[in-house]
Amino acid sequence: MPMVRSVESRVDDVRAVVRAARAVVDRRDALAPAIVESTGLSSAGVELAMTRHLELDPTDDELRRLVAHAGDASSVAVILSANVFVGALRAIAIARAASTRIVVRPSRRDPTFARALVEAVGDPAIVLDEALDVAAVEAGELHVYGHDSTIADVRARARPSVRVLGHGSGMGVAWISARADLASAARGLAEDVIVFDQRGCLSPRVALVEGPAERADVFAEALHAELERQGVLVPRGPLPADERAASDRYIATMTYACRALVGSDHAIGIAPPGAPMVSCPAYRHVHVTSCATEDDARALVAPLARALVALGSDDEAAARRLAPAWARVSALGHMQRPPLDGPVDLRDPT
Amino acid sequence: MHARARAFVDAFERGDAAPDFDALACDLARYQAEHAPGFARLCSARGIDPSALARADHIPAVPTDAFKLTRVATFDESETAVTFRTSGTTVGARGSHAMRDTSTYAAAATAFGRRWLARDLTRPIPVVVLGPSPEAVGDSSLGHMCAGFVRAFGESARPEETWLLADDILDLSAFDARVATALAKAQPMLVLATSFALVHLIDAVGDATFVLPPGSRVMQTGGFKGKSREVPAERLRAELARVFAIDERAIVAEYGMTELSSQFYERTLFDPASTHGVYAEPPWARVVPVDPDSLAPVPEGEEGIAKIVDLMNVDSAVAILTQDRVRRLPGGEGFELFGRAPGAPPRGCSIAIDELLGRG
Repeated sequence: MPMVRSVESRVDDVRAVVRAARAVVDRRDALAPAIVESTGLSSAGVELAMTRHLELDPTDDELRRLVAHAGDASSVAVILSANVFVGALRAIAIARAASTRIVVRPSRRDPTFARALVEAVGDPAIVLDEALDVAAVEAGELHVYGHDSTIADVRARARPSVRVLGHGSGMGVAWISARADLASAARGLAEDVIVFDQRGCLSPRVALVEGPAERADVFAEALHAELERQGVLVPRGPLPADERAASDRYIATMTYACRALVGSDHAIGIAPPGAPMVSCPAYRHVHVTSCATEDDARALVAPLARALVALGSDDEAAARRLAPAWARVSALGHMQRPPLDGPVDLRDPT
Repeated sequence: MHARARAFVDAFERGDAAPDFDALACDLARYQAEHAPGFARLCSARGIDPSALARADHIPAVPTDAFKLTRVATFDESETAVTFRTSGTTVGARGSHAMRDTSTYAAAATAFGRRWLARDLTRPIPVVVLGPSPEAVGDSSLGHMCAGFVRAFGESARPEETWLLADDILDLSAFDARVATALAKAQPMLVLATSFALVHLIDAVGDATFVLPPGSRVMQTGGFKGKSREVPAERLRAELARVFAIDERAIVAEYGMTELSSQFYERTLFDPASTHGVYAEPPWARVVPVDPDSLAPVPEGEEGIAKIVDLMNVDSAVAILTQDRVRRLPGGEGFELFGRAPGAPPRGCSIAIDELLGRG
């Protein structure tokens, strides 16, 4: 008969993972060069992620919620993605809450942090297998983090006896309400944009500004100044050639259509009033558009809804009205710092 | 400007040398910078003074996405004669291309269509369109062009005998009746069709055939847009050749888009040396493969993103930047089309918004 683990026992196991993450952060100087190399983030970007975007001080209540969310599994194989490297903490914490037998396969491109974390935990229940073949997993759960195509591939290869939970691609949207202080909102949103060079599934890509077009203009200017200021402190990593092309295309499109504000390490496109949504790249690009009402905002983001996993706002009540049921809602400046209470992406993973 | 653009078409039809391409392209760019503030901004952002332009290569290209966000036009909205719209997707925004004078567009489309689809015809033939009528989709540039071909190359027929797709349902019995009459009269036919309509036809016919009269030809255009299963070009062509009992070389692909006023054709029907996948360009349009990052033309023979300078886009954007990958062939043999650039590969778990908007 399998041993039943109490909630407290699971919480303790998760706490051990968090303690290990603290230890990894304490020796981050040794790890940072490898993470810079593999993620393409700048050194300051890696430092920012490790010191501000790892959930090292969860409350008991948050951990209990995480344990409740994790459920119970005979074993869990965790397939991690690259780039948002600190995501390994949450992924392993959830797996540990769910099971006493965990195998972690770090991203081939970006194994450093996950490898260090598993070693630091020193928990025999958690083993690293960098060559894990998902098709060889016979039972339990597979927790897959990454792009939708990766998840689809894992689902196709997994055995029928294995439950696959996929946490795929997503994006964030910011709602700047009519009562927002624009300077403060711009500061918060810039913080959310800069971390991970906007490559996280919570990263805000679109800012909806309640009010007339002129207000969106003022907000965009403030955001431009903030991104410039914060970009000096945390420079963007080098832009790959194809991303440079996407950036140039977006900037040219927005320049023609209305206005683009181009900074050293970022760009903001200001959409003409009433214009539909168009493609906006990651890597510190923000599409700013005015919305006369919340209904306008809802209609505008409707095509993006299935991928919308985070909504940040100065008015969280309004944001909740705009957000899909699964989206995390937070204050601006906190979109990339969700509590350690479950997966960052709360969409149905099955 | 329209008269100067039309002069290219007139010269082409007379077999005369074309006027100076760069001169008109640069004059159009200056005109558009003067009358379209967006283009003036784009020139300024690229550090280009329109008054100093001397070569078409140097004209900044307007990305096709701009047609989704704003009106790309040099004239007041009240002067609009027609607005063509992209077919779009279920969730993506549709691009719009407004025109105040469609005669230049129509003349160019018909002249180049005749060159690659109908130059051998001495009298009108039965023309059918496996697509909706212009009345059903008045904002379709393809429908507008097909209507021009029906008028220019077709014998007289009722609309229901000509436009054979309604609500995505193909009227096979009307098609059958046209074919039977043409066979009896030994007339070749011209079939104008979207790729998805042709897939529907193949699916409907199954293993049977739908034999067209000798000398018939098919113009195939567009993608599948989720309206049918996707079939690779080679397989679709082979299947069509079997079903229609025509040579594969009589199946001619057309490449065009709502944001343009010119079209490009495979030359297989009339040029024995040409192959499928290679497109001819008219003397009034140039397809220039450019590096997607620098936007500089790539060396001949290398693949790039298609920047298209279209002198028929008199009142919109003389140069547009597509997301289609192309390669020029040496000696003015035209260009190869490889389809849509895949976009930047996903990095991290931030989604490519293109995926959500359907890249339409």
